Amino acid sequence: MTPEKKEYKRDVIIEVTTDLMFPLILLFGLYIMIGTGGTGGGFQGGTILAAAYILYITVYGTDKAREKMPESVNALFKSLGLFLYNGAGWICVLFSLAAAQWLNMPAFWPITDFVGVPGSRSFLVSYMVSVGIGLTVMASFVSQYFDLAWKEEGERGGR
Amino acid sequence: MVDWIVQHILEKYNYWLAMLIIIISLSAIVVKENLLKKLIGLSIFQTAFFLWVVSLGDVGRNIFTTWGLKTGTPPILWKEAAEKGYIYVNPLPHVLMLTGIVVSAATTAVALAIVIRIYQKYGTVEESEIIDKEIEFEREGGEVRNATD
Amino acid sequence: MNIPKMNPLTWTAVGIAILLIALSIYAIEDLPAFGDENSAVNKQIKLFSVDADGLVESLDAGVLPLEIKTKIEKLGFIEGPTCPGCQNENYPSLTEGNYEIQKIEKGTWEGGRLYTEGGWDVLIKEGEIFYDEFQQYYFIDEIDGELNVYRYNWPVRVVERTEEETAMINAVTSGLADYRGYDTMGEETVILTGAIGVILLVRRRGRL
Repeated sequence: MTPEKKEYKRDVIIEVTTDLMFPLILLFGLYIMIGTGGTGGGFQGGTILAAAYILYITVYGTDKAREKMPESVNALFKSLGLFLYNGAGWICVLFSLAAAQWLNMPAFWPITDFVGVPGSRSFLVSYMVSVGIGLTVMASFVSQYFDLAWKEEGERGGR
Repeated sequence: MVDWIVQHILEKYNYWLAMLIIIISLSAIVVKENLLKKLIGLSIFQTAFFLWVVSLGDVGRNIFTTWGLKTGTPPILWKEAAEKGYIYVNPLPHVLMLTGIVVSAATTAVALAIVIRIYQKYGTVEESEIIDKEIEFEREGGEVRNATD
Repeated sequence: MNIPKMNPLTWTAVGIAILLIALSIYAIEDLPAFGDENSAVNKQIKLFSVDADGLVESLDAGVLPLEIKTKIEKLGFIEGPTCPGCQNENYPSLTEGNYEIQKIEKGTWEGGRLYTEGGWDVLIKEGEIFYDEFQQYYFIDEIDGELNVYRYNWPVRVVERTEEETAMINAVTSGLADYRGYDTMGEETVILTGAIGVILLVRRRGRL
């Protein structure tokens, strides 16, 4: 019993709207991650960045969306985020003689303060760390959605 | 008796609402037969629990009693809160539940991947039909083969 | 009268619902009301009360009286070994020179909290390696001739000190990435493991 393959009709309105909204959602996610004073943080910004890619996959299909986010770039973002955060954490454990003090203690990092602003060393490190979280969350959610949504050739209804 | 009802049920209505959603979703996990519907019940259960914990830390004026406090603002510090007399909401439950939300999302994704593999092997997602197929194959003495190869 | 035929699983669900409702009726009296500012979760927990005969003068002078000190030490603040031959306990201690008492007037606004009654703050210096400052521990109050001793909770410290220590105005992010940074470090590993788990389950011969 061979299933019939229907021709997939393209819808112009949805495709043009997705093309316009895709960079704006990315910009909004970046603002939430490291915007004025840091409203939000790593997890919240990362999921909004992933939502833009998920919209693109839903409209265009997995074959065309693979060109936007190939496999090697996905794996690079996943490991880069983890490397940033875990590197910072293990350096702090090492320099505090395994006492596990705060993560962003100003005594460990060889970064200079802003002149006149106390505590700004930990400010820079917090930004670096939350960017790391955002990259890992985005790449991980996009890769999970790719895996759950692809179909082999020959199965019913693929594209 | 009326005093007990007003004090413990009407003033603490947030806990009763969260408990109601927990009861409904917990019974959905047990009763339903489709595997996907059970997963939806699990996700709703985790979300209702986070609602219960985050509502413990809210500070502000209640609807049914008046204490004369201003309502709480979100925990982002700003300088005019001292002049107007606002009070910040407790940030501790928000911090502890953020990791829980992410764990819930990751668990749902892995569970969906397992449901995909079950569908490829048995050909159906209903629980009772899977049990019938297993009993049939045990009687014949063979193994379950892939249903969509 | 016949009991209608239903799935036995439905009866299990009804039983779970009745059990949970009974449990919540039993436990609802201990939970704070919605929006209470002085509940134990938001500000402080009451420990015990002591008769105030002549203790107010010693509190004003800056010395903790002996009756309060022995009662606090029974709850677990001890310096030195608890039994002969045991290891030294590392709790912060209440010996002379290790603590400080501050008097607070009624109605002062300090760092996000409005003090509705006056009282005394007990600040203790913990002996940590890289951080050697006074931290808030107890709050002593006088009502109707009795002294009440409260213990501060963690959110009071976060809201008061997050601007000068971390230079971030977002209290939730400073709690996640600075004070509790190691929890978030482990959480990121969990996310990566979830993605690897989905890859291992779904991909078969042709694709990976």
